[in-house]
Formats: sequence, structure tokens, C-alpha cells
Amino acid sequence: MLTQALTLVATSSDPDAMHLTGPTRAAGRFCGAWGMMVAGIAGCSGNGAGLDVNGRPVEGGDAPLTAQFESIQRNVFTPVCTACHAGAAAPLGLRLEEGAAYAMLVNVPSVEVPQRARVAPGAPDASYLVHKLEGTAAVGSRMPLNGPPLDAQTIQVIRQWILEGAQPPVSVRSNKSRMPAPTLSALWPIPDARLVEAPKAILLAADAELDTTLLRAGTVRLTYGTSAESNPEPLDVTIEAPTLAPTTIAIKPLVAWRAGEYELRISGSAPLSLADLAARPIDGDGDGVAGGDYVLRFSLEHDE
Amino acid sequence: MRATVAIEPVSARIALVFVWLTLGAWTSVQAEPYFAVREGLACVACHVNPSGGGLRNTFGTTWGQTVLPAQRIEEEGLPMWTGALGDYLRIGGNLRSSATHADVPPAGGSDGDATSEFDLEELRLYLDLAVIPGRLAIYFDQRVAPGGSTNLETYVRYASPDQHWQLKAGQLYLPYGLRLEDDSAFIRQVTGIGFATPDQGVELGWESPQWSAQLAVTNGAAAGAETDEGKQASLTATYLQPSWRVGGSFNFNDSDAGERRMQGLFAGVRTGPVAWLAEADYIVDDGFAEGRRRLWVGLVEGNWSVRRGHNLKLTAEYFDPDTDVDEDEQNRFSAIWEYTPFQFLQLRLGARVYDGIPQNALQNRRLYFLALNGYF
Repeated sequence: MLTQALTLVATSSDPDAMHLTGPTRAAGRFCGAWGMMVAGIAGCSGNGAGLDVNGRPVEGGDAPLTAQFESIQRNVFTPVCTACHAGAAAPLGLRLEEGAAYAMLVNVPSVEVPQRARVAPGAPDASYLVHKLEGTAAVGSRMPLNGPPLDAQTIQVIRQWILEGAQPPVSVRSNKSRMPAPTLSALWPIPDARLVEAPKAILLAADAELDTTLLRAGTVRLTYGTSAESNPEPLDVTIEAPTLAPTTIAIKPLVAWRAGEYELRISGSAPLSLADLAARPIDGDGDGVAGGDYVLRFSLEHDE
Repeated sequence: MRATVAIEPVSARIALVFVWLTLGAWTSVQAEPYFAVREGLACVACHVNPSGGGLRNTFGTTWGQTVLPAQRIEEEGLPMWTGALGDYLRIGGNLRSSATHADVPPAGGSDGDATSEFDLEELRLYLDLAVIPGRLAIYFDQRVAPGGSTNLETYVRYASPDQHWQLKAGQLYLPYGLRLEDDSAFIRQVTGIGFATPDQGVELGWESPQWSAQLAVTNGAAAGAETDEGKQASLTATYLQPSWRVGGSFNFNDSDAGERRMQGLFAGVRTGPVAWLAEADYIVDDGFAEGRRRLWVGLVEGNWSVRRGHNLKLTAEYFDPDTDVDEDEQNRFSAIWEYTPFQFLQLRLGARVYDGIPQNALQNRRLYFLALNGYF
């Protein structure tokens, strides 16, 4: 069809005559060629038979939008946002396709305004995602770019999901993820070590660069005594990680080491988990999938 | 091309530019490949950037003031604006604002909706600092509105003595396919290569009267943080003739999120007053939750120069989001009247019709818009 149309225009007219002396004929030829193309292409659009609203084969039918992540994924992120925000070429690295969106959003600093999280659980007004959808972001255009804005009701549902703590989808709650997850390993002390001398610090290594903004009290917990005991004592700690290539962590208690059992626990599960720069939660329990806490136990034989 | 503007007129120009920007009457004409097809020129003929888009050189700025508009408003006592502020510095800008009405039909259990809005889409400023004119330059493309300032391109550009070879390093737009101004076109949106998605890396280019080629190696993170060892390679090559051109593009993004390979062909031909563009791309993406998807996307565009200053642009696009799924294909048709009454100002009146699966309302929306575009 395209070839026919181009041939028609290219061979059946004097170009200059079209332009200068025969505007009516030229318009007829141009529109005729165009009409042929449109007719040919228009017949190619899908009729949607057997597909859901996202153009995927039906699996259980469409469900209305609710303040659950799965529902927002299915009704907003997938049909609207993944037109651009998908795959390796996703703008600003923000992937919103199923399986990646939650880890890319919750507690992850935005690229445009790094001091704001894309989604701050419990705080929709502080969440950059809401700013972008409502058109109040400090940087850049309202989303969806080049498309009509989301209606107020849809944005309100997203606000409600964030207000309710931005609960993860079932797949994340059950520690399932198809993406490879970073893992931690203890450099010193080694697991279950019995130390004669107090360590200068607990040193951990990661096989991916970590999001150091997540290294805080909510994700790192050192206790005097292990969780197997009835009442382990939480210890205040300092946490250090290099700014460049943050793949190591140094953790030190703010009090002197005492003889006894210690347990370091780093969260890899909701609601707040340590993650790498791609927002992939750590595979703390080493089962090959993201999620699960990393636990290091050791003991010290003498006081510092 | 060297600057010819004297010092005093430069000051006057800066003041004039400031006034225009303050009044908000400026918008953009940027990266319209049909201009190149119509004139039988390469992108580098009009743009500082050899791969097109952004700041215009002296020829491009002059062309935009003399050939493009219906008439030229002469400025008494002032030389023509070229963008050059002396031998070393060149500036330019684009500003785009629009009034848009969107009709979203009822579908999939949702009610229909209609919205109308005025929108300041973007104000972008360009600066090219030629520290060694003709050989070594630093280039900036900064989006300064709406909202805060965002850098789109910043790179160092080195040209060989014969100007055939160009090397760029920094943050840059990726070379791939037709560099359309419309980032919402399927061939831009689906490939993920547009003016909103620069990347950081290096680009090697070759320019000759018959050939234009660029190879870029970048992080593959679309200006986001690099998170893995994989890199993206993007290659495009165009064979140029006065009345037609044909080219091919290839892109490979090696990412932990899944490999993505794109390959496409594009062409342009001039038949009298009509400049035709066409592109088709085949994409294999391993980054989807269910695994690999194969996608097709294509565009055909006709630009009829009805008379000087008037262009009728008709576009038909095709998108198959998954070749393994039947009846999910989408189309988009656009009809846009572009009127450039005088230099630096263009009006666009247009409609876009989306034609997708009936259960998805957004895939069947209609957009009607009047855009005010300016450039300098």
C-alpha cells in the first residue's frame, strides 16, 4: 500500500506544477495517497478479542481500581506508564512494569529531586510520584508525558495506597522476585565466630552497590544476645559505607563490647529493606530470591 | 561557520531575547527531519550537533528566518540573528506551549473523560562554547521550564581537522532512527530513544556528503543511575542523496533488567512539494515480567508544503506490542497544520487519533491541540 501510494505521487505529477499551479490537483493527489495509506494501516489495529485492558491474554478478567499495589499496577502503571517506563530503556531508569515497579518506587530517591522519595510510605504529599502525577513536581513535566493526566479519582486511590503505608504486592510480601537480588557476606567476624578479641567493627561486603540511604536503624539492628533468647538488648550503632562504590559496610556499637553473644540483623523484607541502587531488596537469607533478613551471629569471650 | 555579529548588536540581541522570553511568546521548531529531506541536506547542515536536534548553526538559524516563514519581518539597522555571540559562543532556545483538548472514550468499565488544558511544555536553552572554533567545543542543552532546571545534554565535542570525524563524550541523545520532534510518536516512545531520555557515554560520528553515521556507547540507563556492568550500543547510518535518503539503525542494551535489541530501517524522499518519511523498527526485549517480547513499530509521514510558511503534516503509525499476541495492535493518525507566519514563531493546529483495543480507553483517545512554537 505504501509503495503504491508513493509511486502514485512520484510518477503521476509534475512536482513544480503541483506546488505552484495546481494546488487543487496536488491536494487531491496528496490526500488520495494519504487515504490509501491510512486505509491500509487502519485495518491493522487489533479488535482486542481475548485480551484484557492491557492488551494481554485474559487471565481472570479485569478488576476495578483499588488502593492495593496489584490493582494500581494492573490499572495504572501497566496500561498507562509502561508505554515509556519499561525495560532497559525506561526513562531515568524508572521501570514500572509488573515485577519491577514496587522496588523502583518505594523508599527510592527520585532522580530529578533526590531528596524526595518516589514513594514515601504514609506520606503522599511528600511522595514524588504524586507530585509528578498532579503536576506539582519541582522538575520536569506532568506525567503521563504527552498524554491526558490521570483523573482525580485515580490519583486519590494512589494517594490512599501510599497513606496506608504503600503496602507491597503479594509477590514481594512472599519474598518472590524474578530479578536477581544482591547478597551480603561477612568479612569480619565470620559467621558463628568465637572471638577472643573485640572487633574494630563488623565488616560486610555486598555483591552490588547498595542504596546507602537505607542503611539506618530501621534496616540494621545489632543486639547483645540473639533472637533465640527472650530479651536481646538492642545496641546503638554507627554505620559507615563509602560514597563511591558502596559495596562495603562497617558497623560499630556506640558502647564498649562486652563478652557474650551478638546478633546483627539486616532487613531484606517489608516494610523497609536494604536494597541496591536498582532498588532490588537484598537476598538476606540466601535462598536465591529477593527478601529475607541477613543474620550474622558471633560471640566474644572477653570484655573490650 | 564564524560569527559575524558585532559587539553592540550582540547586546541588543541579548536584550531582545530576554524580552521575548519574559513575554513567553517563544516556542520551538526542533529536529524536524522533513526539513532535511525537503532541502536534501544532512542534519549537520542546520544543527551544531552532527546527529541533529538542538542548537542550530548559522545556516540553520538563517534558514529558519528566511525560507521557513511565510514572510520575514525586517529589522531596521540590525544584522540578522545568527545565534553567535562572538567567535566562541553560540546560544539558542526553544519554547513550546499549547492548548490541548483530550477526549477519552468510555471503555473497560471506566467512564469517558474529557480534559482541556493550557500547558507550558518546555523551555530549553542551548549553549555551544567553541574553545577551539571548528575543532573543540562544549555543548549544553538545558531544560529550564516548567519546574526546575534539568540538563538534557552536556558533552565535549571534538572534530577532526577535515571535519569528517566527530567524537562526543558526556550526556547526549542517542543516535537511532528518525530524530522526530514528537517524542509521543510510537517510533520514539516505544524505542525509548527521545529528547527526554539522554544517556551518558561517548559517540563517534562520521560525516560526508553522502554518509552520516554515529555510534554511541552509553550506560543504557536513560539518564538514570547506572546499576550494572552492561552497556548500550546505538548505531545509525544514513545514505544521503539530494531527493532521497535511506538509513539503518541498531541498538543493543545489555542490562540486568533484560537485554533489549532494536533494529530498524528508515527513509525519506521528496516528491515535488511533499517530503515523505518512513521508519520501521523490530524490537526484541527480554525485560518483561513474562519474559521475551517481540515488538514492531512503524511510521509513515507526509509533509506537504502547501505554500511558503504552510505545511500540512499527515502521519500514520503502527505499533504491535507483542507479536505472540493477536489483536493487540495499535494505530495513531495525526493531521497537523503548521503555519510559520514570520521568523521565530510557528503555530500548529492538529488532531491525533489513537486507535487501539476497544477495552483500553487511552488507546482510543483523541487529542486536539493548538501549539505555539518558537525558536531562536
